[in-house]
Amino acid sequence: MSIIYVLIPIAILFVLIGLVIFFWAVRSRQFDDLDKEGFSILFDEQRAPKRNSDNDNDKPPL
Amino acid sequence: MSDARCFHCHEPVPAGLNFSLVFDGQQRAFCCAGCLAVADTIIASNLADYYRFRTEPASKANALPEKLKAELTQFDAADVLSDVSHQHGDLTEIELSVSGISCAACAWLIENQLRQLPSVHKVNVNSTTQRCYLSWNAQQIPLSRILQQLADIGYQASPFIADAEEQRYKAELSRFLKRLAVSGIMTMQVMMLAVALYFGDYTGIEASHQGYLRWISMLLTLPVVLYAALPFVKSAWRGIKARQMNMDVPVSLAIYYTFFASAYATAFNTGEVYFESVCMFTFLLQLGKFFEYRARTRARDATSNLLKIMPVSATMLRDEQQETVSAKRLTPGDIILVKPGETLAADGDVILGSSSTDESMLTGEYKPIAKTVGDTVLAGTVNHDGLLQVKVTSALGSSRLGQIIQLQQRTLSQKPAMLEKTDKLARYFVERLLLIAAATFMLWYFWLDADRAFWITLSVLVATCPCALSLAAPTAVTCALASLNRRGVLIKNSAALDLLPELSIVVFDKTGTLTEGRFSLQQCRLHTDTVSETEALNLIANLEAYSEHPISRAFSGYLAQKLPLEDVSITVGGGISARYQDKKLKVGSAAFCGLLQSDSMVYLTIDEQPIAEVSLHDALRPEVQELLASLRQQGYQLMMLTGDSSSQADALQRQLQFDQMIKGCNPEQKVAEITRLVDGGHKVMMLGDGINDAPAFHAAHVSVTLDSGSDLSKNQADVVLLQPNITLLHDLLHGSLAAKQVIKQNLRWSVGYNLLIIPLAVAGFVSPYIAVLGMSFSSLLVVSNSLRLLKK
Repeated sequence: MSIIYVLIPIAILFVLIGLVIFFWAVRSRQFDDLDKEGFSILFDEQRAPKRNSDNDNDKPPL
Repeated sequence: MSDARCFHCHEPVPAGLNFSLVFDGQQRAFCCAGCLAVADTIIASNLADYYRFRTEPASKANALPEKLKAELTQFDAADVLSDVSHQHGDLTEIELSVSGISCAACAWLIENQLRQLPSVHKVNVNSTTQRCYLSWNAQQIPLSRILQQLADIGYQASPFIADAEEQRYKAELSRFLKRLAVSGIMTMQVMMLAVALYFGDYTGIEASHQGYLRWISMLLTLPVVLYAALPFVKSAWRGIKARQMNMDVPVSLAIYYTFFASAYATAFNTGEVYFESVCMFTFLLQLGKFFEYRARTRARDATSNLLKIMPVSATMLRDEQQETVSAKRLTPGDIILVKPGETLAADGDVILGSSSTDESMLTGEYKPIAKTVGDTVLAGTVNHDGLLQVKVTSALGSSRLGQIIQLQQRTLSQKPAMLEKTDKLARYFVERLLLIAAATFMLWYFWLDADRAFWITLSVLVATCPCALSLAAPTAVTCALASLNRRGVLIKNSAALDLLPELSIVVFDKTGTLTEGRFSLQQCRLHTDTVSETEALNLIANLEAYSEHPISRAFSGYLAQKLPLEDVSITVGGGISARYQDKKLKVGSAAFCGLLQSDSMVYLTIDEQPIAEVSLHDALRPEVQELLASLRQQGYQLMMLTGDSSSQADALQRQLQFDQMIKGCNPEQKVAEITRLVDGGHKVMMLGDGINDAPAFHAAHVSVTLDSGSDLSKNQADVVLLQPNITLLHDLLHGSLAAKQVIKQNLRWSVGYNLLIIPLAVAGFVSPYIAVLGMSFSSLLVVSNSLRLLKK
């Protein structure tokens, strides 16, 4: 049973990592708006941040 | 085509219009050019995913008139911009309040639209608060361009200044979350180890393992005691300093003496440890506080924007030159130009022009008030239809609006004092508990068995641990808040729940609370047979659609079919005229239409022939009569305080028969009136919706406002009814009664349990182990009893 002398500290390490990540998430305002973050997975990532005029071709006809 | 819905805003598409585009291989129809333009922009910007994933339709996009576009540039003036933003090196940071955000997809849409601008550094939209945080380089691109970009995709944004209080709230909420996480996660760990220790006690455990598990438990409990439980200690310390025992005193005592006793047991390898109880107790109390705090924060979010009514900028006339200046910097003697639709930036006298202003912000009355040369206009009111030149008499801070806000801050400290009952009980209880514990220790140490004295004293303290007592009220309150919230009643101040069952007088505001607060159609009289009533109303609605006047809003529901009108012109203070099928239409006052004044308000003529006249009134909310009758039956005294001094107040009094009615009250009189009632020993609830009611809210014991009320009143009230239905007042009263009952049951149980266990513990019959079981059981019982409130 002396394995617990190793395993429990490792488990505590994981707990601490989890807490640190949670604190970071709170600090980076991820909990401010829970609706939006849930949605973000649905959207495709943007190709290029700046749109060039040559993309205008895929504008649908009116 | 009549059942077709606009692709963008899901509103019906008017017949005879052909706005459409192809999207995802299908022809999509639009209700107006505005929606079409917005959808076109969105799709052209590669943001069409918005339409695929949104859960709510967008709000109707009105094409931004040139006038408004010009208005956006007012924020580019350097001193206005510096008032609403922060400068960080090259980057300017600003918070925008965005209207039209209906679901999370909107947030995504706005973020991506703005990210396409090269000089935008960071953008973050919060869909619940409808705010947008933006950081960009103001040298490269003016704020008006960014606002214009948002307008292109159908959102109207304006700069927002978060008040200091709100920022404190936000910081506090994230601290709450962190503490909750620490106590929650640590509770799980310590519980796990506690299970091992429990089993060890029965099946045997090596002393070294037991010691190890205890040390680990103590290590894990440390952050809970030193970090998560700090608010309790602070509040307890504040209480002790003020010589007022509050509930946090026994809570902190319970946490700390249990912890130190367990630490002692761990260090000297004797007795029992209770680390898991310490953690769980802290976690449960934190959870209750967190829910209460979040409800309050959500209420604040719902009230969005107090400072929106405070105008940001003004157009100042200096040597015949127009100049945009920050509203804060106006001084008496300045001359400002107020365009139609603008909010006045200071109190002043009209020196040129005539118009009507909407003073509903200040008085609660929605009827526009005519203003001409020599009249006084007030800051915060909205100029309706004419161009005014105003000479400033007092700056924004000392204006009437500023005064009302100050009055409100002054009354804040006058909130009737209320000592929480559980606090009183706790004070009584803790004092005696400490005495009993001390007596027990002496008794055992000096007379009975000195060795057992410490552990018996501990079991007295643990068994009587005021956990159940201190959980009794908070858990019930939390559950009551949650269940009322689900029904559309948002309680911002949980102390209100305590007071509600004791109310004796309910005070109502009139306009906007008992009545709808806007004009609605009362009667339509036709003068000819050639048009039907619906046709006449449709004609009026078509013309009125061009007006910003509050009267015109009464007709928006009667717009059955959009007609192509020509030569539309608006006469200030008169009405609207237009050409339709070569006929001259006129809608407006009797004088404008060239008719004799009767008791109606709006007249319609075609080619100078009278067609119809319409009378309007401010209709009573349909549910009011029933509500008042049942309140009266329950024994409440009813009272109406209204700023309206017209005969409508008397008519309403005849209809509803209040016990007392005072008309023509200004905000100060409302406060005085309510203070008089409170001083008379009554428990008073105030129900209102306007800025003019807000100071009175603090004077009353409990204040309730409607979601349609002004932001200021929502900000100040204890309770917000989230649906436009004041019968929710019933739910509120019933909910508070149920909560009171549950609290009583909880208190009875925990006090009874303590009375039973104290003699046994003092006599030394209760081992610390059983003490913990008893404590946990009574806490669980209290929590599950409170949970019953959620079901109903």
